[in-house]
Amino acid sequence: MSEGLWLWITLAAIGSTTILTRGSFIIPGERARLPATLQRALRYAPAAALAALVAPDVLLADGELSPFNPRLAAAVVVTLVCLRSRNPWLPFIAGMGVLLLLSKGFGLG
Amino acid sequence: MFNDSFKRGAAEGFRAFLPLSVGIVPWAVVTGVAMRSIGLSPLEAMGMNAIVYAGTAQLGTLPLIAAGAPLWLLVLTALVLNLRFVIFSAALAPAFAGYTRRRRVFSSYLLVDGVFAVLSERILKSDDPHWRWGCYIAPSAWCWVLWQTFTLVGVLGAGVLPANWSLEFMATIALLVMLVPMSATRPMLVAALVGGLGTVLLRGLPLKLGMIAGIALGIAAGFAAEHWQRGGRRA
Repeated sequence: MSEGLWLWITLAAIGSTTILTRGSFIIPGERARLPATLQRALRYAPAAALAALVAPDVLLADGELSPFNPRLAAAVVVTLVCLRSRNPWLPFIAGMGVLLLLSKGFGLG
Repeated sequence: MFNDSFKRGAAEGFRAFLPLSVGIVPWAVVTGVAMRSIGLSPLEAMGMNAIVYAGTAQLGTLPLIAAGAPLWLLVLTALVLNLRFVIFSAALAPAFAGYTRRRRVFSSYLLVDGVFAVLSERILKSDDPHWRWGCYIAPSAWCWVLWQTFTLVGVLGAGVLPANWSLEFMATIALLVMLVPMSATRPMLVAALVGGLGTVLLRGLPLKLGMIAGIALGIAAGFAAEHWQRGGRRA
């Protein structure tokens, strides 16, 4: 029982970081205004953050740089598809197709 | 509350986010399976899912929970993995400043990468508070439902679902689908390249701070590129 309770306390503590970070500026409202320059610089946050999430997944294998791996090849194909087509499902089909073909079909990575 | 401009905002937000939200599905299933695999009961797993509601922080802390790591380390790890939301929160705050406190707390809890990435610019540009609220809350609520539903699939299907199909890569594809059109201007492309490569090159930093450092570098580089481009045109 006490172990179960401890787990819920742990989960609540981890969860507190969700609201602390996401609410850090939204919840205080007017009282937490950033300088205008910084606010304008933050327009680049989505692109930088998305790339920061994608890059390690496609460039690294087991923590090491790996320029020739199926995930990078799939990411290149997804990028090309996004540039040439407006179909929202095609990137998923093409990307998973290339990844599974290279990793299962050819036994890479 | 649900007037016409709210509905129009909701429709636009939902339409923009819907195709990308498929990337959440495998990510949610994987998270559900992972929570069961360290020994959480279905109730505990879904409790964690509702309380924490942050895939990266959940997956990042699971091995530590399994290893019986001290509470401060768990919280610190979750904090670092969530740190990028401080940047998103700061960027979105002006759009929410006029809302009630309850609404600000609720929208903070629901803030996710995808909705911020696709819709933050439109939300910040709009002068209509009803439209803004609709445009934010409709895709955010959809994302929550989708996440909870497919995590439950993973939680209940753990052990039955086929592993080894790399389906979690669909989450990466979804992120790329957002990133590519966003990088159409040169400063945005610079921000993305520096943010991505910076994170990879700084991956040795302790506590996974490389990602935060990479994002900060990317923002600075994008902003610098914008000024440099404008200066170049003037000359």
